Amino acid sequence: MIPEVGHILLITSLVLSLFGGLGPFILKKELPTKKIALVMFLLVLGAFIALIYSFLIDDFSVAYVAQNSNINLPTYYKFAATWGAHEGSLLLWILSMNIWLVGFIIFDKNKNKYFSDIVFGVSSLVIFSFLLFTIFTSNPFDRILPITPLNGADLNPSLQDIAFTVHPPFLYFGYSGLLLPFAISISAMLSGQSNQEWASSSRPWTLMACSFLTVGIGLGSWWAYYELGWGGWWFWDPVENAAFVPWLLSVALIHSLLVTEKRNLFINWSLLLSIFAFAASLLGTFLVRSGILTSVHAFALDPERGLFLLGIFSFFVLGGLGVYAFKNTIKSQNSFYSLNSKEFGVLLNNVLLVILAASILFGTIYPLIYEAYTNGKQISVGAPYFEFIIFPFAILLGLVQGVALYLSWGTTKSFNFITKLTLESFSVFFLTLLLLFILFENLIATSFFIIFIFSWLIAGSILVNLRFNSLSTYVEFINRRIGVLLSHLGVAILVLGVGVVSSYSYERELILGPGEGIKFQEKEVELLGISNSMGSNYISKKANIRVSTNKGGFDLISEKRTYIPSGQVTTEAGIEAGIFRDFYVSIGDNLEGDSWSFKLQTKAFIRWIWLGALLITLGSFISSIKLLRKQA
Amino acid sequence: MNPIRKQRIYALVAIVVASIVAIYLVISALSKNLNLFYSPTELVNSELSSETLIRAGGMVREGSIKRSKNSLNVEFIVTDFNSDLIINYSGILPDLFTENAGVVVQGYLIEDGTFKAIEVLAKHDENYMPPEVAKLMEKAE
Repeated sequence: MIPEVGHILLITSLVLSLFGGLGPFILKKELPTKKIALVMFLLVLGAFIALIYSFLIDDFSVAYVAQNSNINLPTYYKFAATWGAHEGSLLLWILSMNIWLVGFIIFDKNKNKYFSDIVFGVSSLVIFSFLLFTIFTSNPFDRILPITPLNGADLNPSLQDIAFTVHPPFLYFGYSGLLLPFAISISAMLSGQSNQEWASSSRPWTLMACSFLTVGIGLGSWWAYYELGWGGWWFWDPVENAAFVPWLLSVALIHSLLVTEKRNLFINWSLLLSIFAFAASLLGTFLVRSGILTSVHAFALDPERGLFLLGIFSFFVLGGLGVYAFKNTIKSQNSFYSLNSKEFGVLLNNVLLVILAASILFGTIYPLIYEAYTNGKQISVGAPYFEFIIFPFAILLGLVQGVALYLSWGTTKSFNFITKLTLESFSVFFLTLLLLFILFENLIATSFFIIFIFSWLIAGSILVNLRFNSLSTYVEFINRRIGVLLSHLGVAILVLGVGVVSSYSYERELILGPGEGIKFQEKEVELLGISNSMGSNYISKKANIRVSTNKGGFDLISEKRTYIPSGQVTTEAGIEAGIFRDFYVSIGDNLEGDSWSFKLQTKAFIRWIWLGALLITLGSFISSIKLLRKQA
Repeated sequence: MNPIRKQRIYALVAIVVASIVAIYLVISALSKNLNLFYSPTELVNSELSSETLIRAGGMVREGSIKRSKNSLNVEFIVTDFNSDLIINYSGILPDLFTENAGVVVQGYLIEDGTFKAIEVLAKHDENYMPPEVAKLMEKAE
């Protein structure tokens, strides 16, 4: 019964979203958008709850539940399994879009009703197309009748993890948040708003979407680090790129919208970038869910879904560009800025971010292009490609960001800050090197460059205040710009984490039997023993490992789990986390008796990567909230 | 020159320079980091140099996995049901590596016709088949 209710709720919201989507364009009169948006949201929420309910009561007559759950799955994971695969995650995505829309209608204070009606209309059309896609190709409520399985196949064991359960909701929320800047851009062009007005409508939502994207990507990276078992934090997998490209574009958009609002500049650019950012998020969905790229994120292969998504993508992107080309009522204006202005800084930021995003996207889809042009020859583009590309761009972006907060609008009168900035950067640089030397007793030259960029960013983001003469003006300054400072500081911390972890990490694979030990990175590592244990839906072999140094020690457990009923094996790493260094051990294969292979790793400063991401998240979240409150 | 035009020229120069740099980077990175995929059949009597990093894949043949008892060396056979390819690898294998499952390896073809893998690629879903291998299986059927 309940699954049918869910299905009917979805169909009702489909009809309603079509009405809401066409209404503003056809009826040409004011619509009760707030009510419609709320009802749409409640309908989808109801459907989502119906799906959760089906999971919780183990209703294996629902195909999606049967494929992704199991009687023995712990209750919490039954709940989280709701978005564990394609159909349910799509529903979550639609729910997120509805939440954004409701948020926009409640909080946006733009006076022009026509403007907000069109935003509502465009958003509803997008929601409509996703509902259509869900109901016709990926219905989570499909039943297996009349022969209902007694038990389900189980949730993919790698996904039975706390971080995983929160990673997708944040990520989807971020992804789908790019809907609003898109809808606002279209509506601005159609309703002929002043730039100041539409850009100020768009900024808080773009910041908020970016904030959620950042935390979603960060959680994914953290999860991959400990759950996939091998200590990497970024793999340049197509699916990671599919989230990274929209992230880069949303960051670019945040900056260009600022210039559009404050200075009446980069107008066409901001309009187009809003379309591109949303396009990137749709394209990401398509790449991930059509299964055309080799990826660790395995959604089932289904060409029909791929085609449908490609259709949605083309419709909205071409539609958006069409509006831009033919129906754009926004007047382009010019105000002057010079090479040493904040405007030019943002221009460089945007050029670099967008070209970087394009290069990453190109590398991601190049295997498809190659295959098409060589008659089915298959290739892969490896991580070195992406690392090679991102390095110079990151350096340039860092150099620009370091000075950006010192620059003024229009033209910067005095460049006295350069001396101070350089002085501060070098102080931070040498202090950091000193810290690294104390911690690790060696200095690795290849990391100097990135550490300098970190120092330059630190100087440019928090030490920026040293030009203030009193503490109270300093506090006032920090207070006023807390969001900006936090997110820029986050970039600095992230850069340091990436730089240090890539040069100060060590790994070794070896074989250990019970009682055997080895010296690794000044530490004595000993395998105390292997024990058997049982979880609620798996059996496991636990390796107890003692790590001792002359200053003390700690014990770690790394597990090899075999999940019932799928028989799938996963590795749980044993990690001693530290601000400056993680000690990481993972159990490999069983060789003979109780001898196992192990991988030992030390990862310096890896936590800083996620700390940086967290600061960016917080900073953009705070900025967004402040803007929304200012509007109110 | 009027300031607006000057401004446009700045923007244009920035875009053009950055694009040229990017295109240069993309082309040189692609020329070094493309790994072609080969099936075991394609690698029989192949003239490939043992210095070219390539990918190969297929199904892991049942009963072909031979582990060394005191080192991390492992040997196994990958097949596309026409030809077999012997793979040598030293290291820990991914959790999802099992007999009769699809696998993609990255490494070098050695002169004696065996394959020296430097990486065995794991997917985090047992039902998942790498697209390259899936296509091979389609051909074989």
